[in-house]
Amino acid sequence: MMAAPNRPTAATVKLHRGLYMQEAIKDAATAFADFASFAVRCDGEHFVVDIGDLDGDVEGDVVAEFCNFALANTAIRTKSGEA
Amino acid sequence: MTHTQIETLDAPTSTLTLSLDLGLYPREVLYAAAYVFLDRAYVLLDRSGGRFVVHVRGKQHLDDAALRAMAGEFENELLAQALRLKVVRANQKIIEQVTTLAIAGAAGAITEPGDEATDDGLLIDMDDPADDGFLDDPLHIATPWEAKKKDA
Repeated sequence: MMAAPNRPTAATVKLHRGLYMQEAIKDAATAFADFASFAVRCDGEHFVVDIGDLDGDVEGDVVAEFCNFALANTAIRTKSGEA
Repeated sequence: MTHTQIETLDAPTSTLTLSLDLGLYPREVLYAAAYVFLDRAYVLLDRSGGRFVVHVRGKQHLDDAALRAMAGEFENELLAQALRLKVVRANQKIIEQVTTLAIAGAAGAITEPGDEATDDGLLIDMDDPADDGFLDDPLHIATPWEAKKKDA
């Protein structure tokens, strides 16, 4: 399938430190490593995730799926008592 | 201000923003409710002041009515998960005891205090298997078909 024209190749996401676990974000970054590069840093109340090298050939919204994955990982880890 | 409210709703982009008081539901409830929506929406959680902020964007196009319905569903899910958490916490000890009994039972280790332990845990006495009765065949079911129907 053809990549969408003018699709951004980089994005920045801010995830609240009180709601997302760093390990969960790192796990999500590892899971999506084939589709983009991820750099996680702390900035005040948020984790800031700099996403680059977004693969334009991938169907769907990689950034949004990454956020969903980070949230799911956090929820699962919280449920299993890691928080 | 209500406890949970729709902050923004934008049908062209299928997005919706909800906010709710921090003290209204525990964080686990928010996670559980959000988790339910992950297959059909992109969900991003945030905090602003004394409120949780939930950003939702549909994976498929959603019109105004569908977005309002999704907001209502999210609030219902929060309530359901809150009740679920309350029930789990209230029954925590019972759940643990039942689980312990089930695991112990599967391992063949249930013995009440004072019981005389006459069984070594094996279901069949390998030295005398017929003694356990499973080789008894009063209805002659185990008889080969050929032996019963010699003329056939």
